Amino acid sequence: MKSNSKALSAPYTVWMVIFIVVPMLLVGYFAFTDKSGQFTLENLLSVGQYSNVFLRSIWLGALATVLSLLLGYPLAYIIARMSEKQQSVMVMLTMLPMWMNFLLRTYAWMSLLEDNGLINSALSALGLPKAHMINTAGAVVLGMVYNYIPYMILPLYSVLTKIDPSVIEAAQDLGANDRKVFLRVVLPMSMPGMISGVTMVFVPAVSTFIISKMLGGGGNLLIGDLIDMQFLGSAYNPNLGSAISLVLMVIILICMGIMNQFDDGENVGGGVLP
Amino acid sequence: MGDPIISLKDIAVSFDGEQVLKSFNLEIQDGEFVTLLGPSGCGKTTVLRTIGGFVTPDGGEVFFNGKRITSLPPHKREVNTIFQKYALFPHLNVYDNIAFGMRLKGKSEKEVKKTVHEMLAMVNLTGFSHRGVVQLSGGQQQRVAIARALANDPKVLLLDEPLGALDLKLRKDMQVELKKIQQQTGITFLFVTHDQEEALSMSDTVVVMDKGEIQQIGTPTDIYNEPQNAFVADFIGESNILDGMMLEDYWVKFAGRKFRCLDSGFGRNVPVDVVIRPEDIDVTEPDSTLITGEVTGVTFKGVHYEIIVDVNGFKWMIQSTDCREVGDRIGLSLGPDDIHVMAKSEYSGTFGDYSTFSDEMEEDINASEEAEQEEEHEI
Ligand SMILES: Nc1ncnc2c1ncn2[C@@H]1O[C@H](COP(=O)(O)OP(=O)(O)OP(=O)(O)O)[C@@H](O)[C@H]1O
Ligand SMILES: [Mg+2]
Repeated sequence: MKSNSKALSAPYTVWMVIFIVVPMLLVGYFAFTDKSGQFTLENLLSVGQYSNVFLRSIWLGALATVLSLLLGYPLAYIIARMSEKQQSVMVMLTMLPMWMNFLLRTYAWMSLLEDNGLINSALSALGLPKAHMINTAGAVVLGMVYNYIPYMILPLYSVLTKIDPSVIEAAQDLGANDRKVFLRVVLPMSMPGMISGVTMVFVPAVSTFIISKMLGGGGNLLIGDLIDMQFLGSAYNPNLGSAISLVLMVIILICMGIMNQFDDGENVGGGVLP
Repeated sequence: MGDPIISLKDIAVSFDGEQVLKSFNLEIQDGEFVTLLGPSGCGKTTVLRTIGGFVTPDGGEVFFNGKRITSLPPHKREVNTIFQKYALFPHLNVYDNIAFGMRLKGKSEKEVKKTVHEMLAMVNLTGFSHRGVVQLSGGQQQRVAIARALANDPKVLLLDEPLGALDLKLRKDMQVELKKIQQQTGITFLFVTHDQEEALSMSDTVVVMDKGEIQQIGTPTDIYNEPQNAFVADFIGESNILDGMMLEDYWVKFAGRKFRCLDSGFGRNVPVDVVIRPEDIDVTEPDSTLITGEVTGVTFKGVHYEIIVDVNGFKWMIQSTDCREVGDRIGLSLGPDDIHVMAKSEYSGTFGDYSTFSDEMEEDINASEEAEQEEEHEI
């Protein structure tokens, strides 16, 4: 049995070594060396000068995550209480935008939000003043929420449907009104789903570069853009890019560590991520 | 007797057009141990859910201490339920599960702690406070569920087959334990089971149900000795049920003979069902004054033998401590107090003949084996 499962996992192990471990080591190598391959802390030290970009990324990512949670939770809750047929339709509708190319979706928002875009045209047609929306932090957050909210809804939905209705009845039986049932049973039981959802929204949001590039203009540079510039852009400097990536990774790990403190170790509803 | 603590008046419940309870009337006195007994699907859980507030009846009223509570939500009712499937809170440990109701009522943590420890001691789970409930065995979860309900000191406790998942030994222990708890606390128990022995040994009052209707309400001895129809007679213990004719008061005719009996008030020449319990029949030598028949089957049951006797095509079951051989001719001796006469009902003729007894069992076993095989195929 045991050797069998080892044999089965071998291809995955090889895959992981080639495509995850090796690249990580490479990132580490570049981060600690200069252009000629000499060991240096220069790169890491110069990351400090971008702290405002880091702060902006974390702030906008966190904002998008909180908004996704606040918007996604009620929807996941409503879906979980529907009949089975309605549930599968609603889950499909939730995932529908994900079938469309990411760039195209974000591009579509661009043409909606532009100063002469669809929304502003509609506003002026109605005789209302125009609103400046594109190239603002708000547009970036909107893009993040729009693109990543399905990753919040799905794990929440999956834990919420697994809550046995008789557990809710037991709480009512013991004297809990609807609010107390939610606060003392549903909410804590959906914690694993919340942690998965928050992780799955926060991580890509904090490191995105397309969304900020297309919707944020020049004034809303994020870490993703910064890294992008070091590898593919004008500022070509893979060593600095690797150092920024490394710092970002550490920050995300710390954030996740803090998040997991909320889960008291008893994995109840079976979240998507551990 | 005083006013009932719970009273159900003309309750009607249906799901998807299927009538599950029909004009259901029941009164439960304060401090009573009442058992709902009936086959699977007869509506026992639905009665409890109606009292607990989880089912709103289509018709009829529910009263608690004389107050109408038909549309009161569950959290405002002074009853607690032990659910058929435990329904413990998986995100809380044993202590917090038991404390749940008390904390909602705003009890101080000191009080909560004291009560939780009392409850744990009562259900023999002292020292389990900090265990997660998911890892507990079925029997332990069951006991946590009992403690969680009792910790609220309810006026009425609704128990939906609380011992269903336990093995025989633990089941017997818990029966004694629950009965003791009920007597000590004086809480009214409404207990659901489909185990007739459990119902008879624990209850003050047994309510026998079938197809959403009450068939009989009475003390365990009444139910056993004076079943009101063929369904009750068959469901509670073993019974030979014969087609008979009440000739006049105290005289009944069945199996081609006239017998003296203790029943009266049916009128003259009225068709009736006659119940004779297998353990009431005395086995004797064949005699022209007695019902006689040929032994067709003998099964050793430990305390007694179960003997199937063919009397002119109708097969009787007898429980006797004397062993007989298959093929023996024997006489069946009956006294007036061994005979119980019941009015005819919709159940007449459907129960109480043991001619298919052993075959039936085999068929059941074969059928379930086939079903299992089919399931395997599907996988
Ligand atoms: N929520 C529901 N929706 C549809 N039908 C239901 C519902 N609840 C119960 N029923 C039906 O009502 C009938 C009675 O069910 P109930 O659960 O009261 O039976 P029971 O006597 O408790 O059976 P058991 O001994 O198997 O627990 C069954 O035919 C069942 O299928
Ligand atoms: Mg039931």
